[in-house]
Amino acid sequence: MDNLNDIRALWLTAKTDGLPSSDEMLRTVKKFRNNRLRKKLTIIFVALFCAALEVATMFVYKSTMVTTRIGEALIIIACGILVFTNTRSMKRFIDLKDCSNKEFIEFLEQTRRNQVYYYKKTQVLGMGLSSLGLLLYLYETASISTVAFIIAYTIAITWTLILWLVIRPRSFKKQSRKLDETLKKLENISKQLN
Amino acid sequence: MADFEEIYAQYSPQIFRVCMGYINDKEQAKDLVQETFISVWKNLSGFRNESKISTWIFRIATNNCLRALEKSKRVMTTELPFHLPDQPHEETQEEKLAFLYNCIAELEETDRIIISLVLEDLPQAEIAAIVGLSAVNTRVKIHRVKEKLATKFKAHGQFE
Repeated sequence: MDNLNDIRALWLTAKTDGLPSSDEMLRTVKKFRNNRLRKKLTIIFVALFCAALEVATMFVYKSTMVTTRIGEALIIIACGILVFTNTRSMKRFIDLKDCSNKEFIEFLEQTRRNQVYYYKKTQVLGMGLSSLGLLLYLYETASISTVAFIIAYTIAITWTLILWLVIRPRSFKKQSRKLDETLKKLENISKQLN
Repeated sequence: MADFEEIYAQYSPQIFRVCMGYINDKEQAKDLVQETFISVWKNLSGFRNESKISTWIFRIATNNCLRALEKSKRVMTTELPFHLPDQPHEETQEEKLAFLYNCIAELEETDRIIISLVLEDLPQAEIAAIVGLSAVNTRVKIHRVKEKLATKFKAHGQFE
C-alpha cells in the first residue's frame, strides 16, 4: 500500500450492491414530500387564516371600543410578521439551486444566524404584539360583567404568563444551544475553506 | 435531458463511496445517497447544464454530507484489530477498507470530501467547482490531504 493508486484500488472495493435498484429509488423519491418546506407552508397558511379570520370578525362584529380595534390590528400585525419571516426563509431555500460547498456553508451559516435573530428579536416582537393584542381585544367583551371580566382575564393572563415564562424560555434555551453548537461547527468548516 | 434512472445507475455507487468516506457509517451513507437522489429527482427538470451533471450531483451529495453535521451525529471511528503481536494475520480486504475509512474519518470535514473526490478520480477543476475553491487552492489542498493520509497510513504501518 505505497501509493495513491493502491489506495484508490482499495477505495473502489467498497460494496455498493446493497444500494436500492433504480426502480426502488424512483418509487422512494416519488413518495417523498419536502417536510421542511411543508412545515413553513403550514405556518404561513395558519397565520394567513388567523389574519383573515380577524379581518372578517372586524367586519361582522362592529366593535365600539378603540381597545378592540387596536387589539385586532396588533394580532393582524403579529400574523403578518409570521407570514413575512416564513415566506422570506422559504424563498431562500427555494432559491438555493446549484451551489458549491463553500456557498452552501455560507448559506447555512446565514440561515442559522437568521434563526438566532428570529428567536431573539422577531419572535419576541410577534409574541409581544399578539399577547398585548389579545388582552386589548378581550376588554370590550369582558367588560359586560365583572364575572366575565375576571374569568376572561384570568385565563388570558395565565396563558400569557405560561407562554412568556415557561414555553418561550424552554424552547429558546433548547433552540439557542442547538444553534450555537451548529454555528460553531459551520464556522469551523468555513475556516477550512478560506 | 438525462433520464433519472440512467443517472442513478451511473452515479449512485460513486455517491455512496463519497458519502461513506465522509460519514463512515453504512446506513447513514445510504440515507445520504437517498437524500441526494431525492434532490436530483426534484431539480432535474430545472437543471440547465450550467455545470457538468456530475459536478451538480457531487455538489448536492457533498452539501448533504456537510449538512449531516447539523444532525449532531459524530463521524464514526472504530478500533480495528491491526498488528496483533501474538496472532499475525493477513488483513482482509474489508479490514483494509475499514482502516482507510477510519483514516479518512480522522481528517477535517472538507479534507474528507476532497480526498473522497480524489479517490473517485475526479479532475482537479471539477473538485474545485464542487468545493468552491480556486484551482490553485484546490491543488494545494489535494496535495496536503494526500500527505496527511499517507502519514496516517505510515503511522499505522500500512506502507510497506
